[in-house]
Amino acid sequence: MPVLVEPRLARVARLQTGDPLRVSGPGEPGGCPAVVAGVFDPLADPARLAADRPRVLLHLPHLAGLTGRRDEVDRFSVRLRADGSDTDVAAKLGAILPGAQALPTATVSERSSTTFAVVSRFHRAIALITIGAGGVFLACIMTLKVQERRSHVAALRLIGVSRRTLLGWVIAEAAVVAVLGGVLGLGVGAIATAIINAYYRGVYETTLAFAMVTPETIWLAIALAVVLGLAAGVIAAFHLLSRDALEEVER
Amino acid sequence: MILRYASRELLAHPLRTLLAIGGVAVASAMLLDMLMLGGGLSTSFSELLTVRGYELRVSPRGTLPLDTDVTLRNAEALVSELRARDEVAGVAPVLAANALLETDDEPVRVFALGVDPDEQGVYTIREGAAPRAAGQLLVGAEAAEELGLEVGASAHLTAGGGLRVGRGIGERFEVVGIADFVYASTGERSVAMDLDALARLAGRDGQISFAMLRVPPGQDPEAAAASLSVVFPDVEIASAAELVEKAQRRLSYFRQLALILGTVSLVVTALLVGTIMAVSINDRYRTIAVLRAIGISRRSVLVTLAAEGLLLVTLAALTGLILGAFIARYLESILADFPGLPEAIRFFVFQPRQTLQAFLALLAAGAVAVAIPAWRAAGLPIARTLHEEEM
Repeated sequence: MPVLVEPRLARVARLQTGDPLRVSGPGEPGGCPAVVAGVFDPLADPARLAADRPRVLLHLPHLAGLTGRRDEVDRFSVRLRADGSDTDVAAKLGAILPGAQALPTATVSERSSTTFAVVSRFHRAIALITIGAGGVFLACIMTLKVQERRSHVAALRLIGVSRRTLLGWVIAEAAVVAVLGGVLGLGVGAIATAIINAYYRGVYETTLAFAMVTPETIWLAIALAVVLGLAAGVIAAFHLLSRDALEEVER
Repeated sequence: MILRYASRELLAHPLRTLLAIGGVAVASAMLLDMLMLGGGLSTSFSELLTVRGYELRVSPRGTLPLDTDVTLRNAEALVSELRARDEVAGVAPVLAANALLETDDEPVRVFALGVDPDEQGVYTIREGAAPRAAGQLLVGAEAAEELGLEVGASAHLTAGGGLRVGRGIGERFEVVGIADFVYASTGERSVAMDLDALARLAGRDGQISFAMLRVPPGQDPEAAAASLSVVFPDVEIASAAELVEKAQRRLSYFRQLALILGTVSLVVTALLVGTIMAVSINDRYRTIAVLRAIGISRRSVLVTLAAEGLLLVTLAALTGLILGAFIARYLESILADFPGLPEAIRFFVFQPRQTLQAFLALLAAGAVAVAIPAWRAAGLPIARTLHEEEM
């Protein structure tokens, strides 16, 4: 009985093509003699990431015989003609196959991706909290920065520089700091992405990408940085300009 | 006296203090949540596994309970042998199968469990009675509500999966009870019936999916699992602790995330407190030099500035711990949809020890951050500082 084994199992069990094996079904001690026909590269499948049992491939009749499930299959994959609509064919098959369900590949993919959809929502929530913390941090830093310069700003006000100009100055400075921070963060994010992918690809022995920096991510990060910067600048500027210029100079 | 001075300094700059407290509070909340996430899953899973008093699980060799559709054969003999062992106080065999339940509407998929009603740990009856004979069915409360089933209603049930269902081996059942299923996952429609009834329905006579074992009072479950594994080498016998460890390996991502984000939270706290205290202390160089000039000791200055920083961290940490509880609920509501895990599993579990750990870690991070500017300020050369500040 020829058997294909996946690379991880071949490595752990030190199996090579031509090695003899014994393969048994559940609750059947002893098993049948088999031979390693080769090592197969499994398709990169996110749904199998957490699976810790190694896989072997057998011919269908051999597995059916081993498991005592003759004339049974768990599922069929159906290839359509070029002009076939997957949803239409799925509906027709569903009607003529009682007790079975026929699903388009996209639906199967969607259903098997629930884990990743939940993790993705979790990541977004964490990102939201991080952005909140970052915004408060920025506002705090900007308040400290303008407080350091309060006498200087008060002097500028006394020599006629308008509140509007000073307001714009502080807000622009905050926005620049935020954008620079955002760009720096993108750089850190790109490095972190490379580390994450390298680490998890090694752990799970897959070619899947676990983290990606997409154009949408970049634009979102920059846009958020600008908005947060403007908000922090407004808070800091109003705090600074709410004080009496004469009092500040006297201090 | 020191605390009063520290409070007055913080109150002198309300916006700055408020923003600092806000920033550190969010970081503290994140730290607490990550500590809760790091240990919550194992605590919750461990509690769930032993909630009904069954400390061990027996499953097919190399698998976890319900990990695959592989079953244990010759179940009756296996259960009898297990019951005869001194390490075992009770055995609850369980057979699981996917099934189709038909009422008046479209058939829906349900998860059927076959159990021994006198020795089971998978459900708690809410209404009615346990199914004890063929043709009797217990329905999960959620499924009963969704399908409009009440005690006394009837439903057609087929099992075996796939096309086998089309062979007409289904049976009509009477709903005899409504129950809460301990291990049901979110959205799962669960039903239970007598073990033999499901075995016959699913074509799995003499098979069980797994068994739950109770050990006698005072017996160590780990030792019992080890001892039974020697006697029954063809099956997998695992204690709750081993199952938790295996589940943790599969969900190790969350532990890693918790570690990374928890560390980042501490760093952010230290940075924020350090920056704020550095600027605040720089503003007061002249005052500090005057205090030193009139005889206040370097140690007193150091203690006062450290107290100010730690007061800030304490206020922020307390705010953060409250905020963390709300954020944990929000994050929990997202992870509640995680597929394949029992609905009763909690990712974020509040534990006083972890809360104390978070609080102490924050205080330590704050103390480190405050120490540098405070040490610098306490060591200022008095005369030169007074001269420079006057300029």
